[in-house]
Amino acid sequence: MDPDSVAKAFVEHYYSTFDANRAGLANLYQEGSMLTFEGQKIMGSQNIVAKLTSLPFQQCKHHITTVDCQPSGPAGGMLVFVSGNLQLAGEQHALKFSQMFHLMPTPQGSFYVFNDIFRLNYA
Amino acid sequence: MLTFEGQKIMGSQNIVAKLTSLPFQQCQHQITTVDCQPSGPAGGMLVFVSGNLQLAGEQHALKFSQLFHLMPTPQGSFYVFNDIFRLNYA
Repeated sequence: MDPDSVAKAFVEHYYSTFDANRAGLANLYQEGSMLTFEGQKIMGSQNIVAKLTSLPFQQCKHHITTVDCQPSGPAGGMLVFVSGNLQLAGEQHALKFSQMFHLMPTPQGSFYVFNDIFRLNYA
Repeated sequence: MLTFEGQKIMGSQNIVAKLTSLPFQQCQHQITTVDCQPSGPAGGMLVFVSGNLQLAGEQHALKFSQLFHLMPTPQGSFYVFNDIFRLNYA
């Protein structure tokens, strides 16, 4: 599978899991994974999922506008840079966001999220 | 590697050729946020930036996001290994 297809497949899987059941994101992160969410730094799969499941909304939908990816170096990692809109249930206007993922390969031939940085793009 | 608004460019010479050929004479970047994380065992660093880009003569600034992946040099400095740039349209 070429890198762009891998990135696209990962993004679709990540956001559909996020939108349906945030707790299901736990197996996409590992102990050493890092998330910076709107400037707040969180480390480890458990803490990351605790943060994401505690975000102050019940339902949300991500609409992805752009996905860019590049290989990140000798370790076989991949950088994925996403921008899009986040619609919260009950809110009139969608929030714009940018997010970057650094994916690292697993021994089983899959990927997990090592680095994750999320920012809203305010007007 | 640079991905500039979806266009992929490789190597310092080609990257600088692209950046110097962008269709404006003068610009000013105003940075709003900078986030960083170490990127793994190779000692690299991810830097995620958002801000505004004001072009001379334009009334409204363009919003942008940019990701740099910095790798260490033997001399103790860093160079840009990965660079991804996107405008954030309204």
